[in-house]
This record gives sequence, structure tokens and C-alpha cells, in this order.
Amino acid sequence: MHWIDGIVQGVLLGGLYAQYALGMALMFGVMKIVNVTHGDLVVLLALIGISLANVAGLGPWAVLATLVPIGAALGWLLQRALLNRVVGDDPLPSLIATFGLSIALQNAMLVIWSADTRSLSGGGIQQASIALGPIFVGVLPLIVLICATVLTGGLDAVMRYTRFGRSLRAASADVEAAAMVGVNPRNVYAAATAIAVGILGFAATFQAMRSTVAPADGPFQLIYAFEAVIIGGLGSIWGAFAGAMILGISQAIGFRISPGFGILAGHLVFLAVLAIRPQGIFQRKA
Amino acid sequence: MSNYRVARMTLSGRVALIIFAAALLGICAMPWWASQGLIRDVVTLACYIAVAQMWNMLAGYGGVVSVGQQSFVGVAAYAMFVLAQTFGVNPFLAVFLSLIAPAILAVPIYGLLHRLEGAYFAIGTWVVAEALRLIATNMPMLNGGAGMSLRVMTQFSAHERAVASSLLAAALLLVTLGGSYLLLRSRYGIALTAMRDNPIAAASQGVDVGRLKLLIFIATAVGTGFAGAVYFMAQLRITPPSAFDANWANLAIFIVMVGGIGSLEGVIIGAVIYFFADRWFGEYGASYLIVLGLLTLTCALYFRGGIWGMWSKWVEAPWFPTRRRLIRLEGEKA
Repeated sequence: MHWIDGIVQGVLLGGLYAQYALGMALMFGVMKIVNVTHGDLVVLLALIGISLANVAGLGPWAVLATLVPIGAALGWLLQRALLNRVVGDDPLPSLIATFGLSIALQNAMLVIWSADTRSLSGGGIQQASIALGPIFVGVLPLIVLICATVLTGGLDAVMRYTRFGRSLRAASADVEAAAMVGVNPRNVYAAATAIAVGILGFAATFQAMRSTVAPADGPFQLIYAFEAVIIGGLGSIWGAFAGAMILGISQAIGFRISPGFGILAGHLVFLAVLAIRPQGIFQRKA
Repeated sequence: MSNYRVARMTLSGRVALIIFAAALLGICAMPWWASQGLIRDVVTLACYIAVAQMWNMLAGYGGVVSVGQQSFVGVAAYAMFVLAQTFGVNPFLAVFLSLIAPAILAVPIYGLLHRLEGAYFAIGTWVVAEALRLIATNMPMLNGGAGMSLRVMTQFSAHERAVASSLLAAALLLVTLGGSYLLLRSRYGIALTAMRDNPIAAASQGVDVGRLKLLIFIATAVGTGFAGAVYFMAQLRITPPSAFDANWANLAIFIVMVGGIGSLEGVIIGAVIYFFADRWFGEYGASYLIVLGLLTLTCALYFRGGIWGMWSKWVEAPWFPTRRRLIRLEGEKA
């Protein structure tokens, strides 16, 4: 029962990681870049949400409804002002530019919000749980998991069936050919990053409700998102979702083996996947 | 009937070489002319230059971007502490023996991570550094999160320690800067430069790109580890968060991007700027780091060549000339 409980809690944790990972999978799939500020944006949005809740008295769902458009706007701005200048074959400029921005962002948040850990009050929902047979499942983690599943399915459907999704896939496959048939890569890229950071609005709200956030947490979120994407297989939306589940389960079981081993277990599973199946578990071809 | 000869050395290069040699001798002689504080500063600066130059070789020439070089700093430093403190090896000998650890570790790290594309490789190195930090925290042999102290150093007098620190700092600069310079002047340097500019074209010219990348990854791991061992020997104390501190990657990237990527001169300029910025503005903490981050960002966006790149557009006087020039010999018709 101990271990089954561990797996269930791991899947629920994976729901949160999936929300980190979706945007990263989308951005890498479309532009082949990694945004090092990915985790810092989660923290930034969470801190904005907590301040909104404190100052304007917004409830958690109103915070969510505010953070998603703020995230989308931040993503659009990030792509327009910065990333569009560094998209290209050479990974160095985009990596270094966002690396520098990440340091600046973390410390700017430290100046504004101080190093304190904060969390968002959910109005009692954090304590609620339901019994699934002998296992108790938190209502909030369940909502997070359902939300992650809907977001993954929605993003996948957008990529598959809409005109916008086709232009994203076209820009991803061959940006010059896409430009020739009327796709403006800069607009497509800006929209992709807006979606990616908009999804982080969900992640930020749930992260702040489930546990705490502090300005220096960003790199950890970045690493979890990255591990989920690699475990699942590059650029695949459902792969990132499954990778997040595997990462969540690894950490939850690791924590049950020894409290100091939880995060490390996730890293070790990531390295094992790289050693055994470098193309990711859910990718067919190398 | 060759009417040309190939020249690499320039007047500025000769002058710089003499200054470099004099500076190394001056560093070796520090115990007899410098204060304790100055010796510590020079050791720290030498470590910054070494770590940054190793990152520069990796990213600027090898085309391999890493944000996890603190792995090698921490592993070599911990190896030195264990050899000296736990097994009683002479600490100064332990510094050199400890370099085996990053060399051995670099092979599986590269083997695993080279399957990832450019930017993902970099984040992968960060995961490895985090994993190593957590392993060190959980290892009873390393005294876990509480860290270790180098108590064996008390058997040496202050003067003996100063001599050792000075010699190690000089050796560190000689190996990382001098070694890089010699490497870049050799045929491997041509291969590296070709690989940086276009790996596919380099491969078609007979450069074994995969092998060369692995070799440069191992070599820079050893150089970075050397800096780590020297730095923590001067600190006398090590903990997992300080040994595997992401700030090692931050400072290497800042120094190289601001000073000028792909040049030895840029690393020296960047390291000196970082050293004094840290000294003068470090007390402002967060605000200072915001500026540092934004400067790195600005260099990546607008000044890809950094300070040295802009300077060398105006003045052609390299300190470490690696470029080959064709010179037509006098007295013969072309």
C-alpha cells in the first residue's frame, strides 16, 4: 500500500510538472531553443498572483484567470523583444541571453519580494481530500492533474487540427519553406511563446497553492520541466505529459525511500533514460 | 619555390609573452613581497581566469555550451579534501592527484549528454551538477551537508602555505592560459577553429569532430577541476552548496561574454572586470547581480565579440596571436 500510495502521489505531482513541461516542449519543438527563464517565469507569475490576492483580495480562481493572460502577454513580449533576435542554428546566443535574463530576473524578484517563501491561500481547498479505496487523494492535486490532462489534450488538438497549429508545425519543420507559403515565423514564434508562458500561469497558480514559492526556486522548475521533456521525447506534447508523470513517480518513490533521495531519484531516472533510450520513451525514431 | 612564409608571432604578441612570463614569476615570488590579503586575491583571480578560460575553450572553440562546469570544480575539490584530510596524502600532492576525478567523470557525462542537441546539452550539464550536489549531500564519507574542513593544513606554517598558494596560482594560469595558447597555435587549434565555424565542413576536411569534442570536454574538465582544488585549498572549507555552486557557471559565462568569446585576451579582461565589480559592488547583492545578468544578456544580443571584439576592430595588436598570416618574402617576384 505504501508503494501504491507513492505511485498515486507521484502521478498527482506529475500533473504539476506536466504544466511546466508543456510550454518547454512546444518552444523547443517549434524553435529549437531553450528558454532558461522558464522556471523564473513560473515564480514571477506566482509572486504576482500572491500579491494580487493580498492587495486586491482576489480568490485563487480569479488569480488563475488573471495570471494566464499576464503570462501570455509576458511570453509574447519576451519573444518579440528578445528571443526573435536569437532564434537560429547556433544554440549559444539564445541560451546565454536567457541565462543572463534569468539571473537578472531572479535578483529583481529578490529585490521586490525579498527571499521569503510565500504561498497562495486556496480557501480551504488545500486541506480537502477524497478517499479512493484505501488511498486518500487531495482534491487540489486532483484538479491540477485534470487541468494538466485537459491542457495537454487541448494543445495537442490545436497543433493537429487548427490552421494555427499547421503554421506552427510548418515553421517547426522548415522555417524558410513555411515563410514562402505565407507563414510569418516571427508571429508564429511569438504566439508559441505566448501559449507556453500562458500555460505557466496555470502552473504558477497551482504551485503557489500546493506549496510555496521563493525567488530562487526558478532553476529547479526549469530542471524538472527539462527532465520531463527529455524523458518523454523531444518536442512531443503527450511525451512531455508522460515524462512528467514518470518524473513525479520517481521523485515520490524516492522520497519514500529516504527524504534526501527524492529529487536525486528524479535526476537518476533522467540520466538512466538518456543512457538507455536517448530519444525518449515515447519517441519512435531516433 | 615558396615565395611566402607563414607568420604567427607579432610584436604585440612578443611583448605580451614577456609580460605574461614576468607576471607568473611575480606571482611565484609573492610570499616575499605581497601581503596575505593580496596573495588570496591573486589566487581567487587566477581561479576565475582558469574557470572562465576553460568555458571559453569549450563554448568559444569546441562549440559545446555547458552551464554545469561547477560539477568539475566540486568533484576535484572534494577529491582533494578526501585525499588530504581522510587519507593523509600531502595536500599539495593531493591537488594534482585530485585532477584524475574530473577526467574520469567527464567521460560518462559527455557520453550521456552528447545525445542531446545544443541547448539541451547545456541544461543537461546543469542536471548533472545538481545530481552531484545531492549525492555529496547524502554521502557520509564527505560528511554530508555539513561539509569538510582541511584541518591538515595546520601542520604547515603561514609562510609555507603562502608559497604553496602562490606556486599553485602560477601553475594554474600557466596550464589553463598557456596550455590553451599552445593548443590553439598547434594543428589542433586549426581543427578546433574549423569545427567551431562549421562542424560539417571541418569533418569533411578530415577533422574527427566527435573525438575532438570529447577530448576538449575532458581537458576543460581537468582545467576547471584544477581551479576548484586550488580555490578550496585556499578556503580550507567545503560544503556541497559551495562546491557545486551554480555561480561558477554564472561567472564563467559573464567573464567570457563581456570580455569576448573566442579570445584569450577577452577572458583576462573579463576576469579583471568581474573581480573588481565583485569587490566594489558585491555588497549591493541583488541589484549588482541584476546588472551582471543584464550585461550578459546585452553582450549575447548586441556585442557578440565582447569588449575584446570591439577593441580589436580598432587596434590590431593581439596579446596571444593565434592567427596565421601569409607574408610574401622580399626580393622575389610573386
